[in-house]
Amino acid sequence: MASPPTEHTGVGGAIPRVDWKISLIVLVVLGLTGYSAYGVGFDLVELFSNAGPVERFVSEMFPPDFSTATLQATGTGILETFQMSFLGALIGAIAAFPLAALGTQQAPTTGASNSERLLRAIPYHLARFLLNIFRSVPDILWALVFVVALGLGPFPGTLALAVHSAGVLGKLYSETLEAVPSRPVEALRSTGASGFQSFLFGRLPQAASNFTSLTLYQWECNIRSATILGFVGAGGIGQQILISMNLFDYPKVATLVGATIIVVLAVDRFSAAVRRRLVY
Amino acid sequence: MTSLPNKSSYDSQLSLEGVTVRYGDVAALEEVSIAVQPGESLAIIGASGAGKSTLFRALTRSVALDGGGISVGGRDLYRLSSRDLKQVRRRIGTIYQAYNLIPQLSAGVNAALGEVGAMGALQTARVFLAGPEPGLSKKVRAALQEVGLADKADARTTDLSGGQQQRVAVARLLVQRPDLILADEPFAAVDPVTTEKVLETLLELNGAGSTLIINLHDVEIARRFPRILALREGRVLFDGPPSILDEAKLAEIYAGDPTVSHDKEPVDANFRRLREEQARILEGQDGISAH
Repeated sequence: MASPPTEHTGVGGAIPRVDWKISLIVLVVLGLTGYSAYGVGFDLVELFSNAGPVERFVSEMFPPDFSTATLQATGTGILETFQMSFLGALIGAIAAFPLAALGTQQAPTTGASNSERLLRAIPYHLARFLLNIFRSVPDILWALVFVVALGLGPFPGTLALAVHSAGVLGKLYSETLEAVPSRPVEALRSTGASGFQSFLFGRLPQAASNFTSLTLYQWECNIRSATILGFVGAGGIGQQILISMNLFDYPKVATLVGATIIVVLAVDRFSAAVRRRLVY
Repeated sequence: MTSLPNKSSYDSQLSLEGVTVRYGDVAALEEVSIAVQPGESLAIIGASGAGKSTLFRALTRSVALDGGGISVGGRDLYRLSSRDLKQVRRRIGTIYQAYNLIPQLSAGVNAALGEVGAMGALQTARVFLAGPEPGLSKKVRAALQEVGLADKADARTTDLSGGQQQRVAVARLLVQRPDLILADEPFAAVDPVTTEKVLETLLELNGAGSTLIINLHDVEIARRFPRILALREGRVLFDGPPSILDEAKLAEIYAGDPTVSHDKEPVDANFRRLREEQARILEGQDGISAH
């Protein structure tokens, strides 16, 4: 326990102080760990004693398949994944912006009548509610929904990424908008700027550089998500990986997975470099 | 400066009746009743946390009242519809210790925002996307010229020095030509030269008809105003001309404020600056004053 050694005067001697709150937290964490491990059948012995199939699977991946046909399929899959992630982030950002603007707490309504307050609260809560739904449903579930509605292919995958991105970005945008220094915004309002004007000239300019950075980060996340959306038939390289797995074509799987890792790392690096430059 | 046309569509007579504002259990303003005539100039002094900034926030309806009322031109400020409130606020110009400009926008756009209250939706979009239109931009150029920043119109505000930013804030006032100027410790963070320049412009605007209410930490500057109002613990302790504000009264006003002493011994300039520095820090902690 990290409690500082405290000498209680009058009690005599140094007695380590035990904080019952910390003890309780430790107990709860330990309890949850045991409960969860039991629930999922967590077994290290099984992992290492039955490692044969894993070993076989991995060894069968080598050497990876570098035939022209496989490389072509990999290239197509990667490109598709890239396109899906980019469009998904872009559409998501465009949809997120107005929702974030509505879902941002504006200046206090000092002295406003109840009906005015209500009128302002409705769009706020509506936008927040929509964003929460968009965000809390994972993109792979959105992909399932759109595949059922629109059929297989990268288009439903792109829509799935767009909806989920809109939810995530909308929340992050509105948090950024709310966190900007409020004094300049208040100053604008106190000289007669409307809510829209103080948003446009006060909050937005102060938040804009963060918006770009957040959107790039969401694109990064979309690249990662897009690789698995293919598992439910929503296009991208994941679809190729799934097909090759089902055909036990492990060398091809190796090429596809390897290419995916390289692209994800490259986009990560690129986006991080751009974002570093944006900060001022 | 040539002539300052003052729009008389708005009557800026102010009257406060028993205004009380509390933050939790702490009273920031307690039963404050004052009247300010159009065109008056009035300096407000008081120790840190005396309620000076809260008074300003009440005058723009930026804080809820716990008692009393404020009327502007004979109308109850706290009962105005949001449209009428906008009309009243449009005629109020503000300038703060912390400038409160939008750091990412250019100095020119910040000055142009003096007219934000008068802009329609179309003009708002235009200024946002393409910058001020020729008419407004001419006013902005003239205003920036007047404060000596003619060449800084396109500079990003955050790249300007503190004194320059405060002059941009003055340029914003010049563009706005408000009927009521609320200046919240505008000199606390700027150099003496800027102080004189800003004060001069504020007084010129006042001479042209704008009511000027100014919060000051510096009693010597306050003495240059015809009327001084002193607040202590949210109450009006003094309201009158500087000639009857004596040392005993000042001692009462600042009693218990560790950042200001009003003994007659000459105060070393460095020590004085240090005290003002401390005062600023303290003001920041009270959560009321502008930062």
